[in-house]
Amino acid sequence: MAEETHFSGKKPLDHVVEKQTAGLLKSAEIHGVEMPGHLAAGTDAMKESAFLLVFLATVLDRLAYTPNEIGGILTIFSIGWMLWKTGRAALLGWHHLERMHRVMEEERWEIEHHRKQERQELLELYSVKGFQGKLLDDVVDVLMSDSDRLLRVMLEEELGLTLETTEHPLLQSAGAFFGVLIAAVTVILSVLFFPIYGIIITGAIVVATASVIAARNERNRTIPATIWNLGMAGAAFGIGYFLLDFVLTR
Amino acid sequence: MVATLNNRVSPYIFDDYFNKGQTSANSPFVTASSRWMGKDLPLRASLIAALFLATAFALSFFPTVKPASGILLVAVYFLVGIPSLIDAVRDLAAFEINIDVLMTFAAFSSVLLGSGMEGALLLVLFETSSALEKTVTRKAQGAISRLHRLSPGSAHVVKEDGTLLERSVKDITVGTQILVRAGEVVPLDGTIISGTTQVSLMHLTGENVPVTKKPGEEIPAGATNGEGSVTLQVTRTDDNSTVARIIKLVTQAREARPRLQCWFDRISRGYATSIISISLLFALIVPLIGHTRYFGPTGSIYRALTFLIAASPCALIIAIPIAYLSAVSVCARRGIILKGGITLDALAGCSAIAFDKTGTLTLGKLSCTGIEPLQHSGTDEKEAVIVAAALERGAVHPVARAIIAYAEERHLDGVAVDDFKATAGYGVEGMITVGTEPIKSYIGSPEFITEKLPQEAKRPLEERSEEVRAAGELLAVALISEKIWIFRFRDTLRPQIAHTIEVLKEKHRWKLLMLTGDHPASARRIANNLKIDEYYANLRPEDKLTHVSLLAEKQRLAMVGDGINDAPALARATVGICMGKVGSTTAVDAADVILLHDNLERLPWLLDKAGQTQRVVRQNLAFAAAAILGATIPALMGLIPLWLAVVLHEGGTIVVGLNALRLVRK
Repeated sequence: MAEETHFSGKKPLDHVVEKQTAGLLKSAEIHGVEMPGHLAAGTDAMKESAFLLVFLATVLDRLAYTPNEIGGILTIFSIGWMLWKTGRAALLGWHHLERMHRVMEEERWEIEHHRKQERQELLELYSVKGFQGKLLDDVVDVLMSDSDRLLRVMLEEELGLTLETTEHPLLQSAGAFFGVLIAAVTVILSVLFFPIYGIIITGAIVVATASVIAARNERNRTIPATIWNLGMAGAAFGIGYFLLDFVLTR
Repeated sequence: MVATLNNRVSPYIFDDYFNKGQTSANSPFVTASSRWMGKDLPLRASLIAALFLATAFALSFFPTVKPASGILLVAVYFLVGIPSLIDAVRDLAAFEINIDVLMTFAAFSSVLLGSGMEGALLLVLFETSSALEKTVTRKAQGAISRLHRLSPGSAHVVKEDGTLLERSVKDITVGTQILVRAGEVVPLDGTIISGTTQVSLMHLTGENVPVTKKPGEEIPAGATNGEGSVTLQVTRTDDNSTVARIIKLVTQAREARPRLQCWFDRISRGYATSIISISLLFALIVPLIGHTRYFGPTGSIYRALTFLIAASPCALIIAIPIAYLSAVSVCARRGIILKGGITLDALAGCSAIAFDKTGTLTLGKLSCTGIEPLQHSGTDEKEAVIVAAALERGAVHPVARAIIAYAEERHLDGVAVDDFKATAGYGVEGMITVGTEPIKSYIGSPEFITEKLPQEAKRPLEERSEEVRAAGELLAVALISEKIWIFRFRDTLRPQIAHTIEVLKEKHRWKLLMLTGDHPASARRIANNLKIDEYYANLRPEDKLTHVSLLAEKQRLAMVGDGINDAPALARATVGICMGKVGSTTAVDAADVILLHDNLERLPWLLDKAGQTQRVVRQNLAFAAAAILGATIPALMGLIPLWLAVVLHEGGTIVVGLNALRLVRK
């Protein structure tokens, strides 16, 4: 009965694969898998904030607001946006942790109540890795002898989760805070000193810088990543810019 | 493959998470470097909110920066209002109206009446006290989680082919053979099938002197194996292990609450429902039957809300738990675990105390009181001590340590031993050269020496051994050049026990008793030394229980003990106090107070703390009730504004909180 419930009618190996997939999905970092959460949150916030502020500045410029008025409005918007992004990053981080904690507690429960089935899973996992016969049995016995070690093995090997790699949600939110702050200060200063094209170029520089930082930390190819990000921002901005003609009369 | 695991990860990472409160501050997934950010988060949020509130209040007096005051107030509601709101909505979803709901309702309603500052004050105080409670509880849980680490989680199973396999104790069934090596803690109850050893049952019986175990005898889980390796056949599974039972006990102790607090919890739901109902009725009905309007500062809604806030029993709620929590927390820091605040009440009412002897008044640590020859002149006593000390240097038994200490005190230097041989659980032997000729010498239990004697010499040794044992003393026997020497040992009195007893007698005017299963001669000696009023010796567990029952009928009685034989008496006494280090599981189970470090000298301090706690609780209850009555009735009559109701109400809360915090001082 326990076996049926545990494997849901599947073979042990299928069960392992299913769990591994679920674990990978659940462990996927909100702000990207490869780089620390605070950097991911920070670079994301830089890109989004730069795009929004440049677009808002463009709208206000089209509405014939003075640079000082635009700067003031962008500052107020930035403060609200900063609080939103900071809080949101923390919340996403906490939700992510909550999911992983739930998975861990489920696995712990299974280790305590379905030991026979957990043993079968380990046998499948380690036979795939090349262990056979007595050695396989011995390895599994050793792993089963310590509940904490078994929980670690099942989390890391079966579910694909990694311990001590997620940054604390508050650190992630700090990343988002500084991301918005950098983008906001840069764009708002450019509003005060440059004409509208200068603001757009400044915004593009912020997006490009964030993309380079993210790509380097993720060990992705920097140039394609930067160009793709700039391209997306440019396309979105361009479409929005021309659509404004339909709603703005002045 | 196991090597691929992250080896930097602490082996206790899961213990910490599952036993110290499951938060981001101890999450196994969060990086070690950023975990500090989640530490005491509710408390930090409450303190930041308090700071924001104070700033908002100050800024509200300057019209030019009044919007800044509003911004800070929003931040206060965000930091402390949202957690309260989550709890309240969760309670309401479960159809439960309690104090949390009442408080949150009052705080958020005050915003509607333009009194956001007062509502924020209510939230800050409520959340701060709640966060403080959580922080203290988590710290107490930390001490408990360390107990888990004492438990052996795995055992060496002996397979059919003789090879060893490490297996979790959870997977080991009755009948399995396990190997327990020297120095290891026995993981499961079992019967010895091969090997002889000495085990320390300190955690099980309070007895510090190791016990010899031979094939066919049972060793309980939790015992510490001495020098020999033994193979056991498991007789009981892991479910009832010693450490598991201690953990269960401590958890129960933590959850046990004082009678007063239980009563308070029961009535809080009714109280909250009544107050909310009265407020609603007042707000809706009074304008229909009188001249009062619904709105405005004299309107029924305003008055009802003022009443709601004034009647929120914050001070009453925190009056009792914060006092007990402070006292329990400071006791825990001093190594005293209390089975809830009720224990303090009971202890404050006691007027007599009964002590067990061995392991409680005495250390269970042996000291050699003398050496005597058996049927010979005894002229070469010094030589006997030198030989015995030389032989015992190779052993770790308490008797060995006592003999070596005895020799050292007399500046009798050691000599070399050849052909040393130890028989686990019995004794040691070797060739020793004191003069010119090497002498074959033995020292150990009377049984060990008896085996080596001719038939006619056995009887006198057996008789003398019986006499020494009957006097409540232990003995070791040495056989040197066919001469028999008897070393006698006595238990050592616990340090500072005489002073502790004196303080209990002189300052607290407690009646002192001693209940022991030992020989009357030994009991009399200890009782006289310590000036104990009454003593009862030769008691079996049921006799101790009878004595304690009779005494407890006459006066409130505290009982201090450590062994399984004390457990019934500890349970029957008004307050059972158990020695944590040497105490048996059953005794720890039965007791109300556990002295984690066997720190009996803290007893007078604990009594002072119990009395102080009782006084603080009474003061707090009286003050809190007065504050509520003083604010609610004028509020309903419209005599006081909302802000004054909040000040009266919160003032009371702060005063009882500060009063209780006096108990935290050591």
